[in-house]
Amino acid sequence: MLKLTNIYRRLGDFALTDINLEVSDGQYYVLLGRSGSGKTQLLELIAGLEHPDSGKIMMDEIDITRHRIQDRKVGIVFQDYAVFPHMTVFGNIAYPLKARKEDRKSIAEKVEKAATEMNIKHILGRNTQKLSGGELQRVALARTLITSPRLLLLDEPLSSLDASLKDDLKRLLRKLNREGQTIIHVTHDYSDAISLAKKVGVIHNGKIIQEGSVDEVFKNPSNRFVARYAGIRNFFRVDISRENGSLIGVTERNIRFKLNGVAPGRDNLLLIKNDSIVLSNELPSNKELNIFKGKITEIIPSEFGKEVIIDAGELFYANTLASEMEKLRLREGNEVWMSFSCKDIVVINGN
Amino acid sequence: MNRNSIFTWIAMILSSLVLLFILAPLAGMFLHTGGTQFLETVKDKEVHQSVWLTLWVSFISTLVFSIAAVPFAWLLARKKFPIKNFVQGIIDLPIVLPHTAAGIALLGFISRDGFLGKTASLFGLNLVNHPSGIALAMAFVSLPFLINAARDGFAAVPERLEKAALNLGASHTKVFFTISLPLAWRSITTGFVMMFARGMSEFGAVVIIAYHPMIAPVLIYERFSSFGLNYARPASVFFILVALFFLIALRLLSLKRREKYVNTDAQTD
Repeated sequence: MLKLTNIYRRLGDFALTDINLEVSDGQYYVLLGRSGSGKTQLLELIAGLEHPDSGKIMMDEIDITRHRIQDRKVGIVFQDYAVFPHMTVFGNIAYPLKARKEDRKSIAEKVEKAATEMNIKHILGRNTQKLSGGELQRVALARTLITSPRLLLLDEPLSSLDASLKDDLKRLLRKLNREGQTIIHVTHDYSDAISLAKKVGVIHNGKIIQEGSVDEVFKNPSNRFVARYAGIRNFFRVDISRENGSLIGVTERNIRFKLNGVAPGRDNLLLIKNDSIVLSNELPSNKELNIFKGKITEIIPSEFGKEVIIDAGELFYANTLASEMEKLRLREGNEVWMSFSCKDIVVINGN
Repeated sequence: MNRNSIFTWIAMILSSLVLLFILAPLAGMFLHTGGTQFLETVKDKEVHQSVWLTLWVSFISTLVFSIAAVPFAWLLARKKFPIKNFVQGIIDLPIVLPHTAAGIALLGFISRDGFLGKTASLFGLNLVNHPSGIALAMAFVSLPFLINAARDGFAAVPERLEKAALNLGASHTKVFFTISLPLAWRSITTGFVMMFARGMSEFGAVVIIAYHPMIAPVLIYERFSSFGLNYARPASVFFILVALFFLIALRLLSLKRREKYVNTDAQTD
């Protein structure tokens, strides 16, 4: 449905480079990137608010690279909503219909229908300056959806909403997508991607560095940047060599990891998911595992329990449930055993 | 209550002196104008005509020039072009020129030998000593006030709102009239009122272009130079009062119009 080929766009010192992206009909594509990574600029290129210096944007097999914004059938909802402050909610939602010179009766009917779907019918007569973030978001969505866009672009739609409103909006976005709306959603928050995306792209410094299903991207991050997004905090730079027939990765501080199925070489990066590290008070009996003993330096409450930081020559980060914490009586300053399988270690090129 | 610092006290004293400097001569003029003298002036047909002429010529001049000045201001706020700073400098030029010099320059342009004068004479119009010439002189010296205020107003409108409107299918013209203009309205009105006021009070440039018909500042000058201070005073007081009335009315009207726009746009198309 949407296909971007070799898009290049320079903006001062920054450039979107070699962007290739394909979004099929009915897709929910989440583009993940930090602020300044170029994700908003990419959305503006797709919407036609900016034009690429080179490359091609195809929509339904038609080259729309130089098409007017108004002819693209692409709707965009900006991060700050861009709701018109001098109009009421009704005025905002009716705006695209008035631009199309639809008759008054049809406008009133369509606006009412859209407002009912978005659950904002009761605020149609209100001035937009007095609305909450969640209400503004819905007004902006209703105003864009009323144009029946082929493709809906969302710029950080969840970033300024509180937790309960976030859940409401996620439900709404899932529903829209289920009903066939193709969506590209840019965000800096990987949890948005996990909960909404059918396909994820990671953008960094103006380049898409990895793309695939949620599982593919988060289980096999292609580099450290993507790994950080997947919530991985255990990174170790190692030289890999063969010792007595076994593959061993050694850090600068001489911490030795047992590895499997990788080639020897210098300067590799090992990633271990926080969830893969098992904590125990006794020495684990399975000698095939990587086993380390360390001292707990810090215990930090996290989304699903606690994050335990352990110093075993290198710092390790492990996630554990609060109940597990109590069972093991983990306290800062205590010593603890850590174990994880070779299979839980992802080896990637550090660069 | 917070205690004011010594600096605040000094600043307050200095501010009072500045205010006094502005208000004292005006107050003096009002106090020195006797009721009978003032009533006579109010009844004076010549004064009436000149005040009325000043008001309507300045208003029409502001209105006509705003048709070009407002889109020009939008261009300055939104578009980048190579000689933008130079263009900005040209706009501010009338502010720094001696106004009599501006009048002389304009006279060359609108007299029968000048380009505009020649063109106007083809239609049987002599711009010199004519209200249209006065309007041009007023506009020449007061246009920067409207352009600069409107430019600042447009620049303060978030570009994102214009982009959103384009994305919603509106044409560039529609975006200008439904988003940019209403949101910059307050600044444009301020600029409009400032241009109107500045045009109304212009003497130097106008007196070169047209001694007759006499606008109020020229009439006041003429009364002063022919009959002295006592005769010039009541005309000045009357002109100031009328001008203030119109300025305040215009200001209130424009604010009301904006409120109306905000509240009823949903129902009106």
